[in-house]
Amino acid sequence: MIDPNIWIAFGSWYLIILDISLLLSIYLFFKLPKEKRANSTYWLPFLILCHFVVYQNFGAYTNYNFEFKKAVNACLGNTENPKFNLWLYNITERQILTVLYLFLIRSWLEPSMKKYINWMIYSFVVIALILQITKVELMYTEQPVIFALGANMMLIACGLYFIQLMTNEKYLVSNPLRLLSFWTTTFLLFNYSLTYVSSVSLLYLYRVNPVLGKSLFQIGRVMGVINISALVLLIASAFLTKLFDREPLYESGR
Amino acid sequence: MNPADNQIYIIIFSTLFLGGLMSTFVVAMVFIHRQRQAQSRQKMDQMQAEFEKTIRNVEHEIHQETLTQVGRELHDNIGQLLSLTKLNLNSPKPEKQSEGREYLNQIIKEVRALSKTLNLDWLESISLDDFIRQQLEKIQSTGFCQTALESDGSFLELSKDQKLVLIRVIQECLNNAIKHAQPDRIDIRIAKNSQSRRIEIQDDGAGFDPSQASTGSGMSNLKKRMETIGGKLYLTSEVGKGTHITLELPF
Repeated sequence: MIDPNIWIAFGSWYLIILDISLLLSIYLFFKLPKEKRANSTYWLPFLILCHFVVYQNFGAYTNYNFEFKKAVNACLGNTENPKFNLWLYNITERQILTVLYLFLIRSWLEPSMKKYINWMIYSFVVIALILQITKVELMYTEQPVIFALGANMMLIACGLYFIQLMTNEKYLVSNPLRLLSFWTTTFLLFNYSLTYVSSVSLLYLYRVNPVLGKSLFQIGRVMGVINISALVLLIASAFLTKLFDREPLYESGR
Repeated sequence: MNPADNQIYIIIFSTLFLGGLMSTFVVAMVFIHRQRQAQSRQKMDQMQAEFEKTIRNVEHEIHQETLTQVGRELHDNIGQLLSLTKLNLNSPKPEKQSEGREYLNQIIKEVRALSKTLNLDWLESISLDDFIRQQLEKIQSTGFCQTALESDGSFLELSKDQKLVLIRVIQECLNNAIKHAQPDRIDIRIAKNSQSRRIEIQDDGAGFDPSQASTGSGMSNLKKRMETIGGKLYLTSEVGKGTHITLELPF
């Protein structure tokens, strides 16, 4: 008989949508011709989507297997709050996912703007490492500085994309409403701005007003689903040529 | 209202504010993009119109140049041949009459060759290297100065418009050299590098001061023409030291 706790941990609407999206994207990705699969326009969104769905499921697993979560927390020095699985989201979502999204935006930019994103990625990784090694921000609890830094860099990267949209000749001749890069950047902009304040004050909200905390947390989930849908569409864009235009800076051999 | 409530309101309002700000930002970006797109389209249309105008002018000038050349040929060559033919055919001597018939055949050939130059179809069949070679041979055959062409064939592949503009620019550069510089030698060198291909026209004539406005207008016109086909014209000259012109066209 199946353990009912599995359903509690993995059966939420959010995880079901994510898992279906992953299956759909795997099908779409492997339906792509070989040369397109080797192109970052397609494999990068696929990689981000896989990473996103895997860590969300891993998060659900940590809630299902309390002993495992407790052991990891103890290993990181957190014996006070063994129920926390923030260490997972700190590493996978606030750090790795931010870097991957920066890479994604970078892939839509012209070489002169790519260098700014490169510097942002380097500095973000170095600062996040320093803050964690020096224990200014602990890995198992809230990391407001690292999140704020990553979110600000994402907002700047989105800004760079919009600047390019208005200055680059190739983007000027295109219709942004038919560009998936435009929609994905817009959703990322909303994701990071709408969850900015609530993410920085997450623990405070749960302590003072858990109902509001959960409500604001749902915004993140809705935005997560929207972003995942955008990633699925990015992978499927090769088959949706009537709906979406090819990216203006698309290079077939990348 | 307790401080915790205050903080919660701040969180809610900040979130709403940021969301509203981002919505405004994205909508504004789309509007600005539309405006810039319209401006860019207008600019592109203007550039296209300018390009077409340049091509029309160049075609017209080549026509004029050809007509002048045809007139000169009719007067200096065919006219002379016709006079000779008339004289020979009017002669009672059979050998003279036979010579006159040979002249007639030659005239037919010359007229056929001349008629071909009257439309611009010859442009499509001739390569730029051949055109330059012909021009230099003409200059040298008049005894005006010595000429030389050195080419790696990097201008063999050109669109019709590019060829048309380059022919006109080269013609103008050579005309300027003959008219104003009185050189002993004109050298043309065609070569390429990884990014572009170049035609270098060098004469050892009188040279001039490129900073003087009176000499600049013709050159600026040639520069503009090169720009319409995506190329560039560079000029260096010094009084008494000749002129060096580079025509550059990217791949």
